[in-house]
Order: sequence, then structure tokens, then C-alpha cells
Amino acid sequence: MVMKIIRIVKIFIILTLLLSTHVLAKEINFEATVDRNKVGLGQSLQLNLTFEGSQNMPILELSTIEGFQVRYLGPSTRMSIINGQTSSSVTYVYTLLPTKVGAFRIGPFRFEHNGNTYNSNTINIEVLESIGQTDNQATQEGSLQTKDLNERIFLTLQLNKNKVYLNELIPVTIKLFVNKLGVRDIQFPQFNHDGFSVGEYGAPRQYQEVVGGINYEIIEFATTIFGIKPGEFNLGPATIQCNLIVRKQTNRQSSSAFGDFFNSDVFDNFFSGYQAYPMNLKSADIPITVLPLPAANKPESFSGALGVFDFQASVSPWEVKVGDPVTLKAAVTGQGNFNTVNLPEVNLGDDFKVYEPQIKQDKDAKTFDEVLIPLKASVKEIPKMSFSFFNTLNGQFETITKGPFPIKIIKSEKEEELKITEGKQPAHQLIKEEKLGRDIIYIKANLGELGRKGEYLYKNKIFLGFQVIPLLFYLLMVVMHARNRKLKTDLRYARQLLAPRKAKAGILRARGLLEKGNSVEFYDTLFDVLQEYLGNKFHLPSKGITISIIDEQLKNKNIPEEILVKLRGIFSECDMVRYAASQLVKENMQNSLKGLEEAIDYLQRNRV
Amino acid sequence: MNKPSLVKLSGFCFICLAVVFILRSSFAQGTGATEISQLFYQGNSDYKEAKFDSAIDNYTKIFNLGLENGNLYYNLGNSYFKKGDLGRAVLNYERALILIPNDSDLKSNHEYVLSLLNLGPQSFENLLQKAANKLFGELSINFLTVFLSFIYILAFLVLIGGLLFAGAKRGIKFFLLVLMVVFTISAISLNSKITYLNKGAVVISKEADVKFEPLEAATTYFKLTEGSKVEVLDKTENWYKIKRPDGKIGWIKRGELGLILDLAR
Repeated sequence: MVMKIIRIVKIFIILTLLLSTHVLAKEINFEATVDRNKVGLGQSLQLNLTFEGSQNMPILELSTIEGFQVRYLGPSTRMSIINGQTSSSVTYVYTLLPTKVGAFRIGPFRFEHNGNTYNSNTINIEVLESIGQTDNQATQEGSLQTKDLNERIFLTLQLNKNKVYLNELIPVTIKLFVNKLGVRDIQFPQFNHDGFSVGEYGAPRQYQEVVGGINYEIIEFATTIFGIKPGEFNLGPATIQCNLIVRKQTNRQSSSAFGDFFNSDVFDNFFSGYQAYPMNLKSADIPITVLPLPAANKPESFSGALGVFDFQASVSPWEVKVGDPVTLKAAVTGQGNFNTVNLPEVNLGDDFKVYEPQIKQDKDAKTFDEVLIPLKASVKEIPKMSFSFFNTLNGQFETITKGPFPIKIIKSEKEEELKITEGKQPAHQLIKEEKLGRDIIYIKANLGELGRKGEYLYKNKIFLGFQVIPLLFYLLMVVMHARNRKLKTDLRYARQLLAPRKAKAGILRARGLLEKGNSVEFYDTLFDVLQEYLGNKFHLPSKGITISIIDEQLKNKNIPEEILVKLRGIFSECDMVRYAASQLVKENMQNSLKGLEEAIDYLQRNRV
Repeated sequence: MNKPSLVKLSGFCFICLAVVFILRSSFAQGTGATEISQLFYQGNSDYKEAKFDSAIDNYTKIFNLGLENGNLYYNLGNSYFKKGDLGRAVLNYERALILIPNDSDLKSNHEYVLSLLNLGPQSFENLLQKAANKLFGELSINFLTVFLSFIYILAFLVLIGGLLFAGAKRGIKFFLLVLMVVFTISAISLNSKITYLNKGAVVISKEADVKFEPLEAATTYFKLTEGSKVEVLDKTENWYKIKRPDGKIGWIKRGELGLILDLAR
């Protein structure tokens, strides 16, 4: 009975739910609302798309709305039961960020679901230059109000020239312009630089600048690039990611005496929430041509230096003894790609011992300190040095030559001492890493043993076949070991195993006696063989075997009577001969032997 | 079974192994031996005179007779290197490393070519195989096969010893355990070498597009430079399906790849 009531209640609940959803499905109301209709540029507003009557509506994918950037925030559901009437709704909340000033009408939003079409109402929104600002405030500080968000925050990519030479270092400046907007979480900019090698960014610079009458906060990122292959390229666009801080203004109305106070900016800011709105800003791209270096008039001493440089070189001290060091100092200063600046080569021949130069590179200078040790007193000078570079300003190769540098070498009076000093030098030389050449090692002179291509031992069937031998050998050993062990420990098994072998030997012996005609010994042997065989076979004392014992042992083993008769016959014949030495016919002896052989053969074959 | 017969049987096993080796190595002494030597020395002479194409031609003729050895691959690798074909140089050094992995000249040249190609170590081995190859990596496949066979026979001899000398059971168990560990490690190493021999390949073109599908118009997944090692997983008429050491899989044109074990050569 109780079960029946529960079942009825269940059916009632299910029917009610089905009915209610059916009814609700028909009463879905689609409404669009905003939290306010007036908004300032740089502030956001909230758009709510509400479906009254159902919570099972999918999210409405909003495409771009003219004059606004749209971002989906999330859903909000509501369910209420008033006087037994259930109502439910779902609201999809979006943030709208105005991008320009003006009056906009958004909607109607059209939405299709399960074959039904839902149309929302339209909403009018007015985007002002700035909410709550008077005309006076709008023009304060001489700044003009902009009417587009893209004019209030934007990114620029700047180059100081569009035609560069291969390896020429050029500065790149990326500037983020912000006008009266809160921006935070600014990432380092990125830009497409196919065909160029890019240096690292320095610390970003922040300053203010008036552009077109508008005062901008500027964040400047500077780096350098140089072309790595000639051709036409497009640098950029540069992109930067940041969060725009948007004020979420609540629509409070005040009619109290404190109205002015509560409307003040301070209070407004305090109660207004702030929201981070992610922005991805993009600059324009810049076409750039990378020119190859002209092949004509290239000086011999040119080693790839590009820019506008000056070159200085000096030698000190100018008067030394043989074996004492002289320092050659060279400095390249100016603007350009210092990575391609090398110490000019000087032809010193065998007159000097030369050490690796010490190189120091700054932003606008590269210096080389090279230690030279004159080896001969006849040396009068250090030859001239020529530094060549490609002047990127005038597009021509230039060479600066310094020297020769006269030096005076004083011959050491104590030649031997000098040698000793030099002898001590190796300790210093050992520390210096020896530079070894590298190349491949020469070919093999001998062919060596050849093998068939792709033939490996692991695939060789004969070899693999041989691997079975140890296993078989082991198995054989295990079986033999077990048999030996059983022979040693199991006497019954051992006697049974030996019985036929011993019988065979005895029969052979008896046959010999038969041929000799020695009847007494023949029957003695026959009797012994029979006794021993049966004793071993049935694990009985051999000497005590009589016909009665045999009968007793064999009666339950289903042995044909014929065999038993044979055995009895042999026993009685043996007894007769042994105790009454009667004359025996050879034929009888043969029959007895044959009978014994047959009986043993039967017992062995049938495993009795 | 008594001890002399045991010695006889184990002796027989070793004789059988020796016969296999003798059979394997004796064929090269046949009628073509002089001709093969002539080709080899002609190749060497061409190399000395910087006629690298001719040297390659002569060495290749020996391969075309169905023969190979580490020295031959080494010389061929050197010839390709001198010719400027670094991809094929790497391929032939890799082939030589399968046969003579312990050759110091070979290791030096192989390393040098890879450094010129800016290629770091490229390995398809897992951690276990890397550890096993630390111990047995310098042994050739054939040597390792014989070594495994030796351990295997030794294990059975020890087992038989256990049957005969019941008193030494503890020592025998320990010895068997040691043999089992050595056997396992060397088997892992051998397996990794055989896998590389059968699946390994080297990119021989300067740069090869590896595509998502075995079609000309398919999107390029990644590019491989010459000398890069890959593992061949599958093949069609004109394409190989390959895997990079980092596990990325794609299709590459047949002509851009040289197989380590290329019996069709």
C-alpha cells in the first residue's frame, strides 16, 4: 500500500515537472539591460542579457558591437517560488568598453534556440568624453578631449631610417601613448623581425609629451636591430599587452543634503569598483630595405665593421729591452655595430711574440690591449695599423691608418740571463690554452675482414639453433640426476630396474649350461634366476621365493593361467631335478628355459 | 653423468660456436678477394689524390658486391666529408659505428662532423638503455651476441654444477644471480643496438621538410637539417614515416633520408 502511494507521488512529481518546464518553455522572455545609459570614455558599463522563464539557454555569442569592445563575464541564475508559482531566469553578463564618443543604439539582440526566435529590446547608450566633467574641466590644462579610445591609448614603432646596410646597427623605438587612462601590467613589446637580429630591451623610459595638443604619458622601449640578409622586409607590427583599468561606476542617485558630498570624485572613486580590462595594442608596420655592402672599393683591411667610427692607436713604453713587453693600445670609438669591429691586423713577422689582445666593449667604444714582446734588438718600429669600416652615413668605405710606431730596443748585455728569464716563462705559457686545429682523421689503410651486408650473428639460424644445445644438455642432466638419486634412495625401484638385466645375464648363463648338457647346474641356475628375478620384481627376499609365494603375489595381477602354469612347471621341474637327480631329456631343459624367458618377457611387457 | 663427459659436451658447444664464426668469415677469402682489395686500394689512392668522387665510386662497388665492414664505411664517410656532403658522411660514420663502435678515429670524425653541423647528441634510448649502453655501448652487435651466448651457456654450466655439487648451492645461487644481471643489462644494450640498426636513419639532404601527411601538398610540421638522426616507423612508395628523438612524428620524402641498414644499396 505504502509503495503504491510512493509510486503515485513520484509520477505526480514527474508530471508536474514536465508540465512546468513545458509551460515555462513557452513563456521565455528575452531582455537586454545595461547598468547605466551614460558612460564616459575609459569607463565600462555592464550589459545583461536575461532569459526569464528558463535556465537552460545557451550562452549568446556576441559579435562586435559598434563603438564598444565586448567581454563576456559569466552567467547569473535566479529561481524564486512565490505563492507556489516558480520562476527562473538566467542572465549572461558582458562588459562593454566604449571606444569612441557618441550616441549608440545597441540591439535588438536576436537569438534562436530549439526552433524559437527571441528578440530583445534595444538600448540607447550615450558615450561622453568624460562623465561628470564640466566644459571648463574638459578644456583644462589646454588639453583637448579625444573622442576615440584609439586616440587615448596607442602604440607606435619608430625607426630613424628605412634603408640600412647589412649588419648596420639601427635603433628601434616602441612607444606606448596613454592619455588619462589607467594602465598596468604592461608587458615588453614584441614585433615581427624577419631578416633581422634583435638586441635586448633596455630599461623602459617614462615621460610626458604633448602630441597634437594632447598630453600623453609615454612609455618608451628602446632596442637595436641589424639586418642579417639583404632584401625588402617589413618590420613590425609591434604588439604589446597590458591591462586597462576601467572604472565600474555605480548608478547612485542622491537627493539628500549630502548629495554634493557623495557625488564628489573622492567618494565616487572610493565606492566605484575598478576592473582590469586586457588590451592587446598593435602598431603599424614599417617597410625597410636591407642593402648589401658594395663590392667595389672594399679595402683589404675591411673586416666587417659598420658605422661611423674613429680609430686611435698607441704604443707604450717606446723604449724596452729585448724580451720586455710593449703594449699596443687601439681604440675604436663612434656609433655602429661594435660586434663586427675587430683589431686591425699588423704584420709583425718573427720580430715579436704576440699575446691574445684584451678586449673591452662599451656602448660607443671598443678597446684592444695587445702585449707584444720584441725578440730582436734590430726591431725599430711597430708597423702601421689600418682600420677600415663602411661609413653608413655616406655609404662609402673608409680607412684610418695609424703608425708606424717607432720603438727603441736595447740589447740585453747579459744574454744568458735573458735566456734564463725566458726559461722561466713556460710556466706562464702553460696556463695559456693551446689552440689546436681540427679536422677529420685520415682514412684507414687496411680493408680488414669483410662480412656479408646485413648479416648479423643474432639473425644466423645455425647460431640460434646451437643455443638449444645447452638447454637440452641441462634437461638431460636433470633427468639423469633424478634417476641416479632414485636408484640410490629407492631400493624397490632399483631392484625392479635391475631385475630384467640380471635375469637376462642368468638366462645366458643357463643357455651355456644347456649346450654343455650339464643338467643339474642348468636347473640350479634356472632356479636361481627365477628366484632372483621374482624377488627383485616384487621386492621380496630372493631366497625365500617358493611357488606358494608366487601364487600369492600374482593371483591379483590378472596374469594368464598359462604363465602361472609355466612358472609352477619350472619350479617343480627344478625341485625335481635338484632333489631327485632323475635323467632329463635336453628337450625338457629347452622347454623350461623357453618357458622362463616367456614368463619374464610377459611380466616385463605388461609391467606387472 | 661423470665429469669428463660434461667437459666433452661443453667443449662441443664451443666448437660449434667456433664453426659458425669460421663459416661466417671464410667466404671473403673466395675468388673475389683480390678484386675487392684492388677496389679498396684504388679508392684510397683516389682519396689521396683528392679525387673524392672516384674514391666514393670504388668503395661503393665493394658494397654493391654485398659486402661491408667498418673500415670501408669509415673511408666512405671521410670521402663524403671531403666532398662537402656532410649528411652522407654522418650516415656512413653511423653505419661504421654499428660495426666498429670502439674505433677512436671514427668517434673523433663523427663527433667533428656533428659539431660542424651544429648537432648535439641525438639519442632514441630510454634511461635504462642509456645505462646499459654506458657499460656495453662500445661492443659491436656480433660481439655482444656472442657475449650473451657465452653468459647463457655459463649459466647452464653453473646450473649443472649445482646438480653435481649439492654442497655449493649458496655460492652457485649468487653466481647465477650475477650472471642473470649481466645477461639482462647486455640484452638491453643489444636490443637497443638492433633497434637502431633496423630503424635508424640519417637526413642526407641539406634541409628536409617533414610533413603531417605523405603528400607533396601537406603542411610542413617541422624541418630537419642534414645529419639529423631519426627513427623510421613506416614507409610508403615515396615516403618514410619518421620519429625525431623528441618524439615528434611526420613524413619525409625517401630521397632525403639514408637508412642505417639499407640492404637495397
